[in-house]
Amino acid sequence: MTGFLALELRRSLRDVRYLIIAVAMPIGLYLLFTGLFGTHGQRAQGLPQPVELMVAMIAYGAMWAVFSATGPRIAHERAIGWDRQLRVTPLNPAAAVSGKLLTALAAALPAMALVAVTAVVSHHVQLSAAQWLAVLGIMWAGVLPLALLGLAIGYLAADDIAFPLTMALYFALGALGGLWIPLSTMPHAMQDLAQALPSNGVAELGWRIAGGQASVLRAVLVLAAWTLGGGLVALFAYRRRAIGSAH
Amino acid sequence: MWAAGLAKSYGPTVALAGLDLHVAAGETVALLGPNGAGKSTAIGLLLGLLTPGRGQVQVHGRPPSRAVAGGLVGAMLQDAGLMPGVRVGELLAMVRGLYSRPLPLDALAGIADLGPLLGGQAQRVRFAAAIAGDPLLLVLDEPTAAMDVQARRNFWEQIHAFAGRGRTVLFATHYLHEADDAADRVVVIAGGRKVADGTPAAIKANFGDQQVRFTLRHGSPALLAALGGVRAVDQDGARVTLHTSDPDATVSSLVRSDVRWSGLEVGGPDLETSFLRLLAGQS
Repeated sequence: MTGFLALELRRSLRDVRYLIIAVAMPIGLYLLFTGLFGTHGQRAQGLPQPVELMVAMIAYGAMWAVFSATGPRIAHERAIGWDRQLRVTPLNPAAAVSGKLLTALAAALPAMALVAVTAVVSHHVQLSAAQWLAVLGIMWAGVLPLALLGLAIGYLAADDIAFPLTMALYFALGALGGLWIPLSTMPHAMQDLAQALPSNGVAELGWRIAGGQASVLRAVLVLAAWTLGGGLVALFAYRRRAIGSAH
Repeated sequence: MWAAGLAKSYGPTVALAGLDLHVAAGETVALLGPNGAGKSTAIGLLLGLLTPGRGQVQVHGRPPSRAVAGGLVGAMLQDAGLMPGVRVGELLAMVRGLYSRPLPLDALAGIADLGPLLGGQAQRVRFAAAIAGDPLLLVLDEPTAAMDVQARRNFWEQIHAFAGRGRTVLFATHYLHEADDAADRVVVIAGGRKVADGTPAAIKANFGDQQVRFTLRHGSPALLAALGGVRAVDQDGARVTLHTSDPDATVSSLVRSDVRWSGLEVGGPDLETSFLRLLAGQS
């Protein structure tokens, strides 16, 4: 199991799609947006621009990190029969799935940390050590429902659909979840929608903690609901796959 | 391993209609049959990848999935791929790590890197992964399907070396000569049933008919059935196919007869035809 986990992780970290979309793109967007919007104004959350955008891009990068390590990859492995080969080894199927989940979560960490480093280096973002730990740690935990959604896509979608589907979901959750443009500039109906999305939930956790606010209850509830829902769909998808894997 | 009354259907399609099979430890057994005979279904069942509709199967005294989980079984499946995005050495090291008493990594790497002779590299790596745990039972589903002649020969040498260490090997094939060369015992299945079980020599005598084909120019078709070795005659217009146990005798008696022909061909054993005749004879 540890060998499987280590190899999954190593493979995730050198996946070009991961490196470009989950690591390079959020950093690039961070530099672009801070350049476009200036660094001195405050955005809706009452946070300085560089901090607000840093949290948004941490959420954004983490989201693709867990998506890329689950949806498209699992669908591809099912298509080429690697999951079938694994099933004739002693690796427990439940361990294989949890390995995927853990790998996805682990792959989110470097993507998140590098955005934070970029923010510190380029815009001298300053948080207390406890805040850094809380922002990164709690946002990281908040990515769990997204990883479960990725698992569900991996076990439900065909290989050729999984990547575009995951991509579309990633962009939709990013845009509608207020990671690109501040919620306050959106119409009310869209704000309500945004606040129900897990992408917004993850960012909301970061914004609140960075802003020293303790009221994270709504974000936690939204994420808990998505974790439950995503977990159930993933479980259903996996079981359906396990039963139907015969040809 | 043994199976009793093993049956599996997909909707109205019966893939396996009650298979009894016993393989003793150390035996190399071929599961021989045409495409669609139920070989892959049988293998899926005895690896625990499928759940039987009826019947029972045990591998080393336990249910297949437990035998697989215990590392007693290794398998090379027809439609199984390799982990994408990793190097061969990394993959084999990971698979080894899943077993308690694996083969040494350099031995596996040696198999995976045997050069172009053992089929495509993917095939070699899959074989190395199948034996990585030094399993007591090695199951192979049409392992040589994508290999050329030389690669097949090398592959079977590897299998012999593995079986020679007291390991049990069960492989599915639709090549009679492969079953004949590699197996101690051949179990023939067709239409989801076992139709024969015996030594390769016995199976070959029953299923090893070869074909002599030609276009009949002159002569009575009735004469053809009396030619040496001929078991059956098929005719499609002027094109005649003689099924024979002894093509040499058939051709030499054909030469001596009054029959005139053109376009003579002699073909190897045609399992499909033998099975069809056998099944027709049974029903």
